[in-house]
Amino acid sequence: MSARLSPKSTPLTRRGFNHLVVGAGAAGAVGLTAACAVEPEEVVQEPADSDEPIELNFVWWGDAGRAEVTEAALDLYRADHPNVTITTEYQDSGPYKDKLATRIAAGDAPDLMAIRRDQLREYGDRGALADLRTLDAMDLAGLSDPVLAPWDVNSQLIGVPAGLNTIGFIIQTTVLEEHGIDLPDGDTWTWDDLATMANAITAASGGSIYGTCYEMATVANLYVWVRQQGEDLYTEDGRFGASEATIQSWFDFADEMRTTGGFPPAGFFDATTSAAEASYIAQGRVASQIIPTNNFKSYNEACGGTLALLRIPGESTATRRGQSIDCPHLWSISSQSAHQAQAAELLSFLTNELSAWEAMGTTRGVPPNSEVAEGLVPNLEEDDVTATEYILGLQAEDLPPAFADPVGATEIQSKLADVAVEVEFARITSADAAAQLVATANDVLAD
Amino acid sequence: MSTSVAPSATAAPTPAAARGSGAPGRGTPRRRNEKAAYLFLLPWFVGLLFTLIPFGASLYLAFTDYNLINNPNWIGFENFQEMLTDEDLLQALKVTGIYTFVGVPLSLLAALGVALALNKGIKGLRYYRAVYYLPSLLGGSVAIVMLWRYIFGNEGIVNAVLGVFGIDGPSWVSDPQYALSVLISLHVWTFGSPMVIFLAGLRQIPIMYYEAASIDGASRWRQFVSITMPLLSPILFFNLVLALIGSLQTFTQGYILSGGTGGPSGSTLFYNLYLYIEGFQRFDMGYASALAWLLLVIVAMFTAANFLMSRFWVFYDN
Repeated sequence: MSARLSPKSTPLTRRGFNHLVVGAGAAGAVGLTAACAVEPEEVVQEPADSDEPIELNFVWWGDAGRAEVTEAALDLYRADHPNVTITTEYQDSGPYKDKLATRIAAGDAPDLMAIRRDQLREYGDRGALADLRTLDAMDLAGLSDPVLAPWDVNSQLIGVPAGLNTIGFIIQTTVLEEHGIDLPDGDTWTWDDLATMANAITAASGGSIYGTCYEMATVANLYVWVRQQGEDLYTEDGRFGASEATIQSWFDFADEMRTTGGFPPAGFFDATTSAAEASYIAQGRVASQIIPTNNFKSYNEACGGTLALLRIPGESTATRRGQSIDCPHLWSISSQSAHQAQAAELLSFLTNELSAWEAMGTTRGVPPNSEVAEGLVPNLEEDDVTATEYILGLQAEDLPPAFADPVGATEIQSKLADVAVEVEFARITSADAAAQLVATANDVLAD
Repeated sequence: MSTSVAPSATAAPTPAAARGSGAPGRGTPRRRNEKAAYLFLLPWFVGLLFTLIPFGASLYLAFTDYNLINNPNWIGFENFQEMLTDEDLLQALKVTGIYTFVGVPLSLLAALGVALALNKGIKGLRYYRAVYYLPSLLGGSVAIVMLWRYIFGNEGIVNAVLGVFGIDGPSWVSDPQYALSVLISLHVWTFGSPMVIFLAGLRQIPIMYYEAASIDGASRWRQFVSITMPLLSPILFFNLVLALIGSLQTFTQGYILSGGTGGPSGSTLFYNLYLYIEGFQRFDMGYASALAWLLLVIVAMFTAANFLMSRFWVFYDN
């Protein structure tokens, strides 16, 4: 560590020095963008009934608990298919997304992988994902049309839901009881009811706990708000469908609650992890928030089992229903894989086998195969039953359709995150934010 | 410095002596030095092979539309034209510029200050040197940036300390006004490696200069300005050039603090992070490659300007 500092060492001369420095820095700058081109050519396929030993690489995002139950399901498959070796990897969702991009770019795509909804078409439209309908080993019989339709892009089925999912409002009932505030009726409550409840909680607690919070830049939340105004964030033909007025109202509503006290002040969100235990509701800093419903169990456990799960406000009074089955988490098979048939067989097992779901539970949502979903309910723990019945109840109703996000959604999302912060800190008006977002979105999607 | 013997001075008279006195097959000391130099450079040459190919590929891709999955399409200078109207690029240049022109001088000042203090011949120099050098080894690491995030978080140590004085500190990490200053403070904290180099330079200044100056009645400050700074200027220049180049290429700190987004609201969008987002998140590797070459030009220009200006303030004692 400590270099010898001899007083008699050779001094630095001009020439020696120049030689030392020239080129020392330049080298680093260019190194970052080296990548290999991948030919989306036909890959020779291993026959489906092959008994040859093969290796399948299977990756997803999530925590250690999800990994444990997924491995348990895979062990069932491994026992029946001794010739198949399944290697697995998982990370938190942010790094996962980055790693998947580099692997696919490097021609080292996993055979079977989890893909975020907003990235499905980024890969699919460029031919990186196999059309699942062309794979004989893929059993799609148990999946209904509404379940598959959003992922059927340009007549190619490029993903199936890893679990049916949507968002819900969780409310800490102990806080309501403590301050004598009534729990709203989740089927009929409005956004104004939310504001009233949230403001009352903050006021009653003397500001030690905020009534509600939800992330302004999370598209799953925004989808619902936009649909309730009779629009779609992304339309079926891949355009940006939200008007400036709708986007502005999204920011304005939270801003108003921020002023009246129900919503935390600017800069409140700086969480470093997405773990339920570290969430603001589990820490007793807020009394309600929006979560993806598959996380209900972990949140309820982290909150002492006293959470209520409500629908998003405004569902019974808005222009249109806002909630839909918005699966954030899909399974896809790589078009680069030499073992597509085997990957499809494994995917069919994970989708349609009750035993697999009994091992996995609803960590990624409700089984998309309704028969499996019904069979699974009696085996679920209470919290998962709550979340599952929530989804099944919604599914039975007439919901607006969901569409896969178009190519470029990633860039629009980062713009949404930027303007949301600008509005939060009152650096720009909500009208400017809406105008900027719509302009960027139209620009990106016009390419 | 003048007491030490430069290699060029020794090389001239010795060849004859070396030849005369035998030592067959070992070559002249100069040759030997050259051989040794190439031997030490060998790993770099091996590495160069693995660098040249990506260099070439990146230069080619800079003129293509390449989405990582399909084959690249030649589009000429379109990527470079796009830069002219790219607001994100402007933001990235701004962030990187502020970080560099605030962070580099501050960290060099800290390095020089601590080096001067340690050069007083205090007890336990090795210990202090190690302690102050340690952050340099850790500063770029993921764990330290995470730690920094906690320290400057809403409920971090910084706000806890401010709270003692009745100050309600802002959210340093999530407020776009402050996020970059958190990273600049991390940058300044990692002054260890320039400090070690400064310390080595200070040790080379012959004590007799100071003795002569104090006999003539020069004050400590006068000695610092007229002896220490001129003789240390090549070292300062060296540190400045390296720090500038390193700072312009900052990536990890911004990536970790913002979770790979450059947020809040672009306030930590370092140039290299933007390049990464274009390449690996927005799948526009052609544009990202073009950005890399622009950065190369920027770094080269700053370094060249540095060398030109050095004539006016760097003093070589030979």
